[in-house]
Amino acid sequence: MIVAVYLAGTVAVGLYANRYIKDMADYIVAGRSLKSFISVATMLGSEIGLVTVMYTAQKGFTGGFAAFHIGLVAGVGCLLVGLTGLIVVPLRKTGVMTIPEFYGQRFGSGVRVFGGLLLALAGILNMGVFLKAGGVFLTSLTGMTDPNAVNIVMAILISLVLLYTILGGMVSVVITDYVQFVVLSFGMLAVCLFSLNHLGWENIVDTVTMVHGDAGFDPLHEEGFGLSYVIWMIFTFGLVACAVWPTAVMRVCSAKDTQVVRRLYCWSSIGFMTRFIIPQFLGICALAYFWQHSGPGSSFFTAGGALTNDPSETLRAMPLLLSQILPTGLIGLVAAGMLAAFMSTHDSYLLCWASVLVEDVINPIKGGQLTTRTRLILARSLIFVTGIFLLAWSIWYPMGQDMLDYLAVSGAVYFIGAFTVMLFGLYWKRSSRIGAYGALAAGAGALLGLTPVRELLGFTNENLNVEITTAHIGLATVALSLLLMVVGSFLFPDNQTAETTQA
Amino acid sequence: MDAWTTFWGWLLVIVLVIYAGLAIAITIGGFFDVKGMLTTINDQHESKKRAKPDADAAS
Repeated sequence: MIVAVYLAGTVAVGLYANRYIKDMADYIVAGRSLKSFISVATMLGSEIGLVTVMYTAQKGFTGGFAAFHIGLVAGVGCLLVGLTGLIVVPLRKTGVMTIPEFYGQRFGSGVRVFGGLLLALAGILNMGVFLKAGGVFLTSLTGMTDPNAVNIVMAILISLVLLYTILGGMVSVVITDYVQFVVLSFGMLAVCLFSLNHLGWENIVDTVTMVHGDAGFDPLHEEGFGLSYVIWMIFTFGLVACAVWPTAVMRVCSAKDTQVVRRLYCWSSIGFMTRFIIPQFLGICALAYFWQHSGPGSSFFTAGGALTNDPSETLRAMPLLLSQILPTGLIGLVAAGMLAAFMSTHDSYLLCWASVLVEDVINPIKGGQLTTRTRLILARSLIFVTGIFLLAWSIWYPMGQDMLDYLAVSGAVYFIGAFTVMLFGLYWKRSSRIGAYGALAAGAGALLGLTPVRELLGFTNENLNVEITTAHIGLATVALSLLLMVVGSFLFPDNQTAETTQA
Repeated sequence: MDAWTTFWGWLLVIVLVIYAGLAIAITIGGFFDVKGMLTTINDQHESKKRAKPDADAAS
């Protein structure tokens, strides 16, 4: 009942918000009218989604308390971006609506189209496992066992998201993000306190010690995350996720002025830390619960007491815990909150990628001649097509690694190049168009961090006789991107009067 | 390891307390911001409407 009321309400919001959409600025950046509180709510509403809760809980389950380092660097990184205004303040001053628009303004329309295409493809690939996370969550929480039932539920959910996002654009995204933030925030806090009370702190710490040893507490421990992984997380979630990731930057572009941008980041730093630490703690609670109730030899642990290597098992540990310890009414509330979060993340991402494809790829290719009406129709059509793709990819793709690592790698295809191009484009006058092309193209190297891709190309640790992790590949790609930007800019400097000023 | 346990334990407590405060502040402040956003968009449309006939008349 609670869930049904919420779903009906979100569609109603989309229909209502449609009244306020008169042009592209209303649709993409809500007329640039967002103030501080709602900016923070909508940013966190999009960033703390069901998918975030699922993959961070999985990391807490597989990494123990040491996984908290990800939340810590995310919060500190976001705060530093807010205090210094790194990238986001000069970006807001340019007045652009999207990141590729900045590429065009700074490096010419070719870089804009290339960067936009890369961004949208990486972003859609990144979104590809969202529905799977939703399916696993619903199955585990409600006890549904028929996979077809889950797929049908997911199809209904994506249809509802498509409906109100297509209709209401950024205005409906803002309102639903706000509602979702309220429901999910109080829900997560309640569940966290409930789990802590149910299991007991000492009990939880003892279990992490037994299962993970010192590596469950020390993030630099070589049997756990290790130094290279921590550095990769500092770059990915401490810097890029808040300063370069387009759904976050979209809020920068929507903000009223640069003061709001700084305030948005300072306040959001708490949320950026929380979005990892609270779900990770729930994952740790799941570890304690199933160690005590199922123990070695169960689906989560080997007979020797080690954790299973199967990501689909570890992913379902947290929702399974909730189904076991929460009373029925609270499960309904949590399900509504999580579904709200699920839809909220989808709407922002769908809108973001469709806007990029229309504004930064198709429209520039057509010489900027498309009418507002055509662009709106195109954006809405692309949102629909992307939704269909996501449904197919979620069912087909074999994950093969923790969801957080999949998301970091697929996102890196875009954000490594974007980070380099934005950093150098905003702060280094000599950076050139050729350097930008090289930096963006280098990001594709991050695909080698996906387990199925590595297996397909024979790029496995067994074949290479050396331990190469996702973090190593990610950091090497960052270095390559920076190098190509510097070398490309020195060897092929721009003719300042030609291409750059054309955009 | 005890130092790490204490550190992560306090971090968790701080996160829970601060986030609870933030959630309350944003719930209240955000409500008024949403109202403000809709009013601003309406005003923008009104001023565009007013500007358009003026521009037509001038041409």
